[in-house]
Amino acid sequence: MAGVELLSDQGYRLDGRKATELRKVQARMGVFAQADGSAYIEQGNTKALAVVYGPHEVRMSRSKTLHDRAVINCQYSMATFSTAERKRRPHGDRKSTEMSLHLKQTFEAAVLTNLYPRSQIDIYVKILQSDGGNYSACVNAATLAVIDAGIPMRDYVCACTAGFVDETPLADLCHAEESGGGTSLALALLPRGGHIALLQMDARLHQDHLETLMEAAMTACKGVSKVLDQVVRQHLQEVSALTGE
Amino acid sequence: MIKTEKVLHLKSSRGRKVRVVREHYLRELVPCYSSLCQAECANEGKVLSADVTHYVVPDAGVTRDFMEILEFREIQGLVFTQTACQAVQHSRGRRQYNRLRSLLKDPRHDCVLFANEFQEYSYCPREKGEPQDKWQTRCVYQAAVWYHDHLAGLKPVVMITEDQGAVAEYSSLNCGVYVLSTLEYLRTFWPELQAAHELYGSIAQALRERGNEGTEREFAEHLPAEVLEAGIKSGRYTQGTLNVNKHRAQHEAFVRFDGSSNKNSELDSDVLVWGGKNRNRAVHGDMVAVELLPKGEWRGRTTALTEGQGEEKGEESQGQPMPTGRVVGILQRNWRDYVVTFPPREETQSQGRNSLRILATPWDQRIPKIRISTHQADTLQDHRVIVRLDSWDSTSLYPNGHSVRVLGRAGELETEVQTILIENCIHIAPFSEAQLREMPASSPERPWTVDPAEVVTRRDLRDTHLVFSIDPRGCEDVDDTLSVRSLPPGPQGPRLELGVHIADVTHFVKEGTLTDLEARARATTYYLADRRYDMLPAVLSADVCSLLGGVDRYAMSVMWDLDAQTLQVNRVWYGRTLIRSSYQLYYEQAQALLNGEEAELPPEERDHKLSHLIEALETLTQVARHLRAQRDQGGALELEGVEVRAQLDEDKNITALVPRQPLEVHETVAECMIYANHWVARKIQERFPQQALLRHHPPPRQEFFTQLQDSARALGFTIDTRSNKALADSLDQAVDPQDPLVNRLLRVMATQAMSNALYFSTGACPVDQYYHYGLALDRYTHFTSPIRRYADVIVHRLLTAAIAVEEGARPAKASASNKELEEMAQHINNKNRAAQHAQKVSMELFQCLYFRDKDPETAECCDAVIYAIRTNGVLVFIPQYGLKGALYLRNREGQVVRVSQDGRCVWEAGSLQRSLDHVSTTTASGTSTFRLFQHVTVRVSVQTSRCHADTLHLELVSNRAHRAPEPPDRTPRAAPPQGTRGRSQLVQEVVRQAEEALLQAEEKKGRVSELSKEEREFRQSKTPNLYSLLEEVREQALLDLTAFSTGLHTLSS
Repeated sequence: MAGVELLSDQGYRLDGRKATELRKVQARMGVFAQADGSAYIEQGNTKALAVVYGPHEVRMSRSKTLHDRAVINCQYSMATFSTAERKRRPHGDRKSTEMSLHLKQTFEAAVLTNLYPRSQIDIYVKILQSDGGNYSACVNAATLAVIDAGIPMRDYVCACTAGFVDETPLADLCHAEESGGGTSLALALLPRGGHIALLQMDARLHQDHLETLMEAAMTACKGVSKVLDQVVRQHLQEVSALTGE
Repeated sequence: MIKTEKVLHLKSSRGRKVRVVREHYLRELVPCYSSLCQAECANEGKVLSADVTHYVVPDAGVTRDFMEILEFREIQGLVFTQTACQAVQHSRGRRQYNRLRSLLKDPRHDCVLFANEFQEYSYCPREKGEPQDKWQTRCVYQAAVWYHDHLAGLKPVVMITEDQGAVAEYSSLNCGVYVLSTLEYLRTFWPELQAAHELYGSIAQALRERGNEGTEREFAEHLPAEVLEAGIKSGRYTQGTLNVNKHRAQHEAFVRFDGSSNKNSELDSDVLVWGGKNRNRAVHGDMVAVELLPKGEWRGRTTALTEGQGEEKGEESQGQPMPTGRVVGILQRNWRDYVVTFPPREETQSQGRNSLRILATPWDQRIPKIRISTHQADTLQDHRVIVRLDSWDSTSLYPNGHSVRVLGRAGELETEVQTILIENCIHIAPFSEAQLREMPASSPERPWTVDPAEVVTRRDLRDTHLVFSIDPRGCEDVDDTLSVRSLPPGPQGPRLELGVHIADVTHFVKEGTLTDLEARARATTYYLADRRYDMLPAVLSADVCSLLGGVDRYAMSVMWDLDAQTLQVNRVWYGRTLIRSSYQLYYEQAQALLNGEEAELPPEERDHKLSHLIEALETLTQVARHLRAQRDQGGALELEGVEVRAQLDEDKNITALVPRQPLEVHETVAECMIYANHWVARKIQERFPQQALLRHHPPPRQEFFTQLQDSARALGFTIDTRSNKALADSLDQAVDPQDPLVNRLLRVMATQAMSNALYFSTGACPVDQYYHYGLALDRYTHFTSPIRRYADVIVHRLLTAAIAVEEGARPAKASASNKELEEMAQHINNKNRAAQHAQKVSMELFQCLYFRDKDPETAECCDAVIYAIRTNGVLVFIPQYGLKGALYLRNREGQVVRVSQDGRCVWEAGSLQRSLDHVSTTTASGTSTFRLFQHVTVRVSVQTSRCHADTLHLELVSNRAHRAPEPPDRTPRAAPPQGTRGRSQLVQEVVRQAEEALLQAEEKKGRVSELSKEEREFRQSKTPNLYSLLEEVREQALLDLTAFSTGLHTLSS
């Protein structure tokens, strides 16, 4: 089947969104009591859970200790039931190692690690249901979890994907769009300063189009950040009401 | 927005069922695209008009099966639902869906798409266990109800469906929303639209027939699309376009690969598909996937000439075994409208049990017979009818189709010409009212005048430049004019200013207007042998745009500041100008002026400017010679095409077939135009490196030259084909002093080996492929004939944009993107090909008419030259008529031709021997040999065919050159011996020779070029200038190539 029509003549995408519209984002913070921080996020049908432990003393090998800042340890995994066909996903396969590394880089850029020398922060993320944009869901969930843990960050880290179809950039791709060929660019942004924490793309794209695509991804990230901000504020309100403030 | 979920069951790539959950977002504001909208929807672009009696919403089934009816322009207020569109896309494939899309985009057609599935209130989720078609009908009904409510009940909405259950269920649910069946709908609302009713009947009949097919398999099933795709990726199957051999349509077909898709590197040639079973229901032109057969089953292509159909010989002469395969699946059907002929009555009855079903024979031999169900078989006997194919099941030997429109009785001129148009996918409706309303007003009483506001913005050349045009006699659509003058000397010495001024069509045809859309769809003016279909309305092409003599006209100009001696370009100026052509010359007149003869100029033109004119013409000739020499250095080719023109009298009877005449002034004009095109190409490519429309001519494939090289070797010449320069040089040397035809024929063969020149967008091609092989230029485009070619219109727009950018202005609108431009280039290429093919076929039609009128007994005997050898005959060229054809040396009974002592030919039993440069027949009484380039005498007669086009049949009369009494005023070297002629032919010949004698001094080479005199019917040129004619000849000769390479070793019987 040579290519479904990703963008109709009237500007609708497969699921009825327009080119710049994001999927519906819903999130909750503090879902687990045992961990220092936790969050759950749904971006469309992609669902992710993030848990943060720390900062605590370095538990891995001593040699990894850094004297001027904290070590960030990330682990990404996908649930066996997260896709349409059940699949065993052993830990440490290539894809999840790569994703863990990406997450680590992202949060090293965002967390104020120099406040916690000689300590370690663990971020565990699990994809419960996968429908495209796994990386961005993980980043967004982890941001909320880090905030929940009370670890200071420079800014929210918001991530979003963008694709390119018929000379039009599409924001926040779903699985059908990602697999339908074409480019997919993942971008993690610190929205207030406009700093890019991570940018990843592994498809061919004409140089001229890169600018517009990044522009679209950044706008999308800013949209996500608004939603996250709301979630945090609401969570704070709830918590403060509980503690009797 | 509200998020819901949609659960789909899809098949995974391994064929397993997978449950897929997709999000589905609904919104409240979905534009309705109706001008009656009360809710202020964001309606952009096309909207439904308010002045229709009702809106129609066809359901998925109707959209799928009866789209042809919905395509009628009369049916207005159409609302297609998204549900229906998707149903079309899924069940009918991309082609049908694209047709629907272009229908929706077409501003002339009153229809819109409503995205009902994204509308909060019109979306209905599919219920558990609900069949798909029921659900689709329910969706469409919901959409219709919403539409009615959305417009506050201002318009009644009619939903049409073929599902009688739905009619019963829904018709009384809502007032204002009616549910009707298609037939009822047509009866109620369009009782007078007879064509639609007929079409409905024939489609419905075809659909019914499809239901009750037999069950026994005639063909293997096609593989599913996923398997094909995987197979192509892994290299197991190969993908390509199916080409059926015209002369062995039953058996031989070839699959040609489209470049990149061919991963299997050992396959560098086409794949043969032998026999109907292996072809597996693929029709000529389809995109298919083939699987190679094991090497042991490979066969060669047949090299014998075939005579007629149905002949099956025991021993088949075959060439080298080549890759052979079978079709395993069809990726893309490329069905178009076909013209078929209904069989006469006796044949229909012999078909037996069901007289309603008729097997009709398509006009195109490559298409299999089509089964049609109709009640009109009796009335349509021997009529030509347009049909469309519906399906071809594995249980059926023939495809099913339905009739669309009756063209007329076979054999009538009008029917035949229409047939040619349809077969080449040329659809031409007269220009509509709305289009003509866009045109500037101009009448004989009140001619169109220039706008003073426009004069200010243009460079005024009316007083400073002597502008003139040279065109065929009687030409009315003058799109190019020339000027040349000397400038004050610069630092390097004297300077010249050469100017080419082209009609400013884009000033009148703005992008996106109805005229523009129509011109884009036509892409070119179509020239047939007896008529012409203009790209632009006559008021533009013959009046306001045409650069007529003595009136002010807008032009697009390119002016070069040249060094007078070396012709180095100092500066080039591009821009819009205002000109007044002082002289509107025709070629013969210009040539006469150049020769210093008294030209018959009208008295009012014999003023003081005449001496300037002559001077200008002389300079121009010199410049052109120089330019030509420059290009020759680069390796420009002189190619030879064969072209004759049918001269018609008032009743469209052919009086003669006239080959065209060359003049030097033709070349002068052509050279200037090529120069202008070249410089414009450079300019736009520089400015828009990603999205300029250029024209390139890829170098030919070396293997196509083998015939040329073999033939030349037979005469002792070597042809070097390594580069265009080498080819041009070696062609120049291959001259036989005894026979001027030899060189001409070699050039014809070289032309046949060429690939087609094509338009392309610069972003779609690497820079090293921009080269124009034939003209030896690194950049080339078409700029000089915007009146009759749409490509030139685009180039004009690009040039205007380039000038605007240079002057610092931001272009008002982004020009077309690379992708759009490339699509456009493809479209224009296709249309050009169709136009040339139609022209060629119509020419053949008139050739047949010409020979049909002759008495078969005293039929024409004429001279012919053998130019290729086949196993059972030879291919000959008849210079007098520019005809090519096959000559059989063995007939169906296995007899061969023997030449007796006096040169007469007799048929006797014997054998035939073929070698590289000759073929010899051996019979009991002797051997006769036919060599390459030998002159023989043939008789031309017409073989009539009921279903197909008539063809010419050649018969060998003698193996000696045909000698006719030499006309008195003819020099002996001038031409090959002529045959005896009919009286009208003789008269024509004498007139022609008189002209020729006049021009003989200039006739330096036997270079062909055509000259079109006035087209009597229209009082306009057939083709406006030589340069374009040259291009056409080149391409037309190239056209033969298509037939040539599919049946490389065969020729028409």
